[in-house]
Amino acid sequence: MFYREAGQFKTSYEADMAVFPIRQDRIGLAIILVAAVALPPFLDSFVVGTVLVPFLVFSLAATGLNLLTGYTGLLSLGTGAFMGVGAYACYKLTTIFPGVNILVWILASGFFSAAIGVVFGLPSLRIKGFYLAVATLAAQFFLEWCFVRIPWLFNYNLSGAIEAPSRSVFGIPIVGASATPLARYYAILAIVVALTWIASNIVHGRVGRAWMAVRDMDIAAELMGIRLLRAKLLAFAVSSFYCGVAGAAMMFLWYGGGEAKDAFSINLSFTILFMIIIGGLGSLLGAFLGAALLHLVPIFLKFGLPELGVPIGGATAEHLTHILVGALIVFFLIVEPHGLARLWATTKQKLRAWPFPY
Amino acid sequence: MSAAAPRPGETLLSVDGISLAFGGVKALTDVSFDVRKGEIRAIIGPNGAGKSSMLNCINGFYQPQQGRITYRGVERRQMRPHEAAEQGIARTFQNIALFRGMSTLDNIMTGRLLRMKVPFFWQVWRHGPAMREEIEHRRFVEGIIEFLEIEHIRKTPVGRLPYGLQKRVELGRALAMEPELLLLDEPMAGMNLEEKEDMCRFILDVVRQYGTTIALIEHDMGVVMDLSDRVVVLDYGRKIADGTPAEVKADRRVIDAYLGVGH
Ligand SMILES: Nc1ncnc2c1ncn2[C@@H]1O[C@H](COP(=O)(O)OP(=O)(O)O)[C@@H](O)[C@H]1O
Ligand SMILES: [Mg+2]
Repeated sequence: MFYREAGQFKTSYEADMAVFPIRQDRIGLAIILVAAVALPPFLDSFVVGTVLVPFLVFSLAATGLNLLTGYTGLLSLGTGAFMGVGAYACYKLTTIFPGVNILVWILASGFFSAAIGVVFGLPSLRIKGFYLAVATLAAQFFLEWCFVRIPWLFNYNLSGAIEAPSRSVFGIPIVGASATPLARYYAILAIVVALTWIASNIVHGRVGRAWMAVRDMDIAAELMGIRLLRAKLLAFAVSSFYCGVAGAAMMFLWYGGGEAKDAFSINLSFTILFMIIIGGLGSLLGAFLGAALLHLVPIFLKFGLPELGVPIGGATAEHLTHILVGALIVFFLIVEPHGLARLWATTKQKLRAWPFPY
Repeated sequence: MSAAAPRPGETLLSVDGISLAFGGVKALTDVSFDVRKGEIRAIIGPNGAGKSSMLNCINGFYQPQQGRITYRGVERRQMRPHEAAEQGIARTFQNIALFRGMSTLDNIMTGRLLRMKVPFFWQVWRHGPAMREEIEHRRFVEGIIEFLEIEHIRKTPVGRLPYGLQKRVELGRALAMEPELLLLDEPMAGMNLEEKEDMCRFILDVVRQYGTTIALIEHDMGVVMDLSDRVVVLDYGRKIADGTPAEVKADRRVIDAYLGVGH
């Protein structure tokens, strides 16, 4: 009843092409944005640092992978490594040019991942599906090897770790030991909002349509005049850009430095892939839903259940997480390949017609 | 590209001595015919005669081992499908090749991709030039949607549409390219009588309104006789007849091929 578009007529193509043509959706989005800005100061800083910041980092990476896998249909297992490229690029940039705003470097490091992504995307013209996944796996292992074997990347630290130097924006520390979770949260929030808006613009326009055409039927796409290699490489570039920024943000706004070779392993690639499978392939909302679910389930099992009085050990919680995530993936692959986002869309469709079944 | 576009009645496309084989299977053997500007040219023949393969050679999916294809006065040896698209050749497929995850509107909008040139930088903001271009092409596409009478399924994902409507959307997507030469592979296969009549009307209107040249494959002899100006008949990869519908219908070899006599 409340979710109706009755009476909302589009008077121009521009209005009809809006990303959220229905007023209730726009209001909902506005509420979420306002809450995202206004609420966190009232939350426990542990929650901000371990729930919200990682959630946004994962959402950004999942958005990046979704552009490649969900929108263009190219499966990649190199997400973790592409994120790593962003983290190392950012580290090098900010240690070589410490005076430049760290947010600029976090965004700029995306271009380095984009370049690497394009190189490893080249085989995608010839191979697809399983074979492409294996090629990106090779990229993952090669880049991981570089992260360990090229000491120049981590400034010859004996530990091999990235150290997050102190960096401030407008006098407020957002990177380093003195940065509060809240400051780091606002930094990543700004990045995620801006990049999500851009991703939405891209997928709703000419480029997004070309990507989806390549995904749905590449021979017909070629017939529409789409140059497959160009479209696929652009997808690799944009996707890797997002992953690179997410990687830099992960290292500097979330971890605050650390042993990067473990952080950007194949496990991370799989985690992000599972997020978009569960959240919804080819849906920006899906990237967020998947990131939320996969990041929150383990936290809930580990901390939430004991809070509720259910005695559960850390190891048991971890096992339970694996079982649950596995079951969810199988469920979504079989029952709803378009993930949580499609379930949400179906629910909205039902709400629109409610209380009448049709 | 040729300097002057051919005028109505002049030869737009000619294929000359085309032979195509897949391993030992000879799909086409020494086939020659031409298509004139503004006509409806039918290609008929029994199943497996090589009709679809012929269209695939014309728009660059298959590379014939022998023969020449001359389009707009320019002879070419090899061409990629996207180059064929750039030259103004559009087509539909025997087994519908729509983008199943996209809406009717988005499918037809892909037909405008070659004409959408605003660079990536502007796409990122979706304002200014990118939005103006989007609106301009949306307007054109709405014209096609109206022409094909598919306004009600504009926003429906094409995977959910019934077969007959999918064929219509695929035609719309090809029309959105404003092609000079439109290749239709069995546009009416699997349709009921009413849908067939609609499709015939659309095809005739396309020629009349846009001056498009059409080469179409069709099984229904009645439809072929009504629609086409000239017919070429293939059998076992060879051309066995070429002429007006009346001439072809009276041809002994065509009758044999269709009745299975002599094989
Ligand atoms: N890609 C291909 N690979 C192998 N054989 C093919 C291929 N395409 C067509 N053929 C063969 O070429 C012959 C002609 O097929 P086709 O052009 O589809 O016939 P039609 O459209 O007239 O029914 C058939 O024998 C078919 O098996
Ligand atoms: Mg055929």
